[in-house]
Amino acid sequence: MLKSLAAALVVSAAMLGSIRAAAADPVTITFRFNDTEQEVRGAIDEFQKENPDIKVDLQRIGWKDARNQFLREAAVGQGPDVQHSAQVWVTEMGDAGALLPLDNFLKKDPPSNGFADFVAQDLAKGKDGHVYGLPWTTDTWAMVYRTDLLKQAGIDKLPQSWDDLRADSAAVYKKTGKAGFGFPAGSSASGAIWFLANFYWWSHGKALIVQKADGSYALGVTVDDVADAMKYFKQYMDGGDNPQSNLAASDAHDPSIMQALVTGNQAMGAMPPNTYKEIIKAYEDANPGKPVPFVSAPFPHPDDTKSSMFGGRMLVINANTKHPEQAWKFVKFMASEQVFAKYYRTQFPAQNSLLKKIDFGAPLKGFAEQFEYARTWGPYASGPVPIGTMWNLTDRAFGTALSGQSKPEEAAKGLLQEIEKQMAAKG
Amino acid sequence: MRDRLFITTMLLPTVVLLLLFYGYPIFDNLKISFTDLSLLGMKRGGNWVGLANYRELFRSGDLGHILFNTFIWLTATSVILRLLIGLGIALLLNTRAMKLLRLAAVSRFALLIPWATPPIVAVVIWRFLLERNGAVNEALIKLGVVDHPIAFLADMRTVWPSLVAIMLWNTVPLIALSLLSSLQTVPDEYYEAAELDGATNWQKFRFVTLPFLMPAMLVLGLMSVFWSFNNFVYVWLATGAGPGTYTNVLATEVYLKAFIDFRLGYSSAIGMVMAVIMGAFGILYLRLVARQQLEETL
Repeated sequence: MLKSLAAALVVSAAMLGSIRAAAADPVTITFRFNDTEQEVRGAIDEFQKENPDIKVDLQRIGWKDARNQFLREAAVGQGPDVQHSAQVWVTEMGDAGALLPLDNFLKKDPPSNGFADFVAQDLAKGKDGHVYGLPWTTDTWAMVYRTDLLKQAGIDKLPQSWDDLRADSAAVYKKTGKAGFGFPAGSSASGAIWFLANFYWWSHGKALIVQKADGSYALGVTVDDVADAMKYFKQYMDGGDNPQSNLAASDAHDPSIMQALVTGNQAMGAMPPNTYKEIIKAYEDANPGKPVPFVSAPFPHPDDTKSSMFGGRMLVINANTKHPEQAWKFVKFMASEQVFAKYYRTQFPAQNSLLKKIDFGAPLKGFAEQFEYARTWGPYASGPVPIGTMWNLTDRAFGTALSGQSKPEEAAKGLLQEIEKQMAAKG
Repeated sequence: MRDRLFITTMLLPTVVLLLLFYGYPIFDNLKISFTDLSLLGMKRGGNWVGLANYRELFRSGDLGHILFNTFIWLTATSVILRLLIGLGIALLLNTRAMKLLRLAAVSRFALLIPWATPPIVAVVIWRFLLERNGAVNEALIKLGVVDHPIAFLADMRTVWPSLVAIMLWNTVPLIALSLLSSLQTVPDEYYEAAELDGATNWQKFRFVTLPFLMPAMLVLGLMSVFWSFNNFVYVWLATGAGPGTYTNVLATEVYLKAFIDFRLGYSSAIGMVMAVIMGAFGILYLRLVARQQLEETL
């Protein structure tokens, strides 16, 4: 009898202990982030301090692999709880069943100022109307100039049109021997020339993909429009003011381009603000005390057209998460004002109320002005062809034209035929 | 009869394991190649499309160019050069002069460095060396060979030779060291006999050295074909299959279709075609090498 009692006591004590231990153990959620750890480390530490019952395991992955890796994992019930996503991926990932709808969270426990305060809401929704992502950051691309090189080339006014830009770039190369407008012209499924080509079309009142009044999608450019853009950018390669080696550069933050701007071997570039900030920092580190010889400005455009995009990131929750409440708590925290004010300073918040409070400062003035002439990807993201496919096809078609593998007209025709084929196949 | 049963029983676990580890994925891939499975629709699965993916592949205007790149540049050129350069280095390391100068050990150690370098690191190193302000361009300009930097990995005239050079740097040492070990098995008596017969150096190489090296060269050549034909890393990391699609090969096409266009079904069809081609090389390997080895063993 005594033995049984003792055994029961031991078992009870063990159970109590394990229950207590379980209660004390924090829930671990995984956050997969595609930029550098230092950008979010402080915010995560703060979140964990405020929520001792939640532990955040930070995983890092490069942008190039982020979406595919997540889709592969989500399809087999795996993957991180919270994923860093490009704004333009959310619709298709939501439609693929990889994401948790956020509608209930937004209703019961909305972020301050509500969902209506966020930009790019159209890109956060799936075709079923559910919200699958919380816009987190926003940015736009703008032109960046090295004022000292422009001065050496006798240029005292920033280019106002695409023709001015071409002439000034050639002038810099001719008069200083340095690269003029050095842009990434690589053939890959990355930023490369995809952005510039679209900015060129948009500023001419065209778009690669348009949505018609009946809701269907169509090409918004002709072979001539595409060939015209190819010929325009080819001039920079043929003239030598964009070095041939940039045919192997795939991103605005390609080290060779960033380095050329920092060292004064290139006068002009096009990039998002975080890349520009890195360039300024690298210049300041290399030249302490010297004034920064950079200015930013919008891409050339007539007053009634757009010439850049509202880009940015969203935070999404994996459909397979076992901790949806904790994941949402984390997502909401990361989008809060305190995170952008204290920790995540390399990006701009995606909430209109917070954007208004930002002092862009003199170097970023051009980016602030560019926001006025920016548009969302809209039909590109909601249309039938995955945006990554269009990046790849466009970059490669431009690559063949710019490297001289084929004539711009042939490359343009091939590009539009392929996109049309894919649009037809996917309805 | 009893022996045959015993052999079959002993082999059965291995056969089952091989079928599980190799047969099942191949069968699964074959099944996917008859569907329109998309990376975005993995949860839903794909619809049966029969031979549509294969028809599209064989009618594709890009296929000829991709096959040319895969067979001629990626495989034939790199394998032939790998064997020739490897042989040259092995012969050099085996010379008396190298031994007398006590350079043989140092050279072998130096050869191990590129071989031990992972391909991804090798490509990154070479990208730095070959870029606009890289060491290669700087050297060429200083030597007066060129006035302006060469865009090695972006110019159509230089991109394939550059890619092949990167592959050779990383893989020749294995060939060289393997051939060197074969060279060291050639009995000195054969050379002495050839010398007594008045053979020239070329004749000694042609009629003594080369026959000894041929089995090793055959194995290394065929293995190199397998490594090269399927290779994805060098092309993708160095050029991303560009400029344009100039360096696109079958392996990069598989990746592009699967993970950029999300067309897993179509991509699997390309993978199956690659598997069939490799299967042909496999049969060749079995006929030329494995059977000979088996006969020698028996």
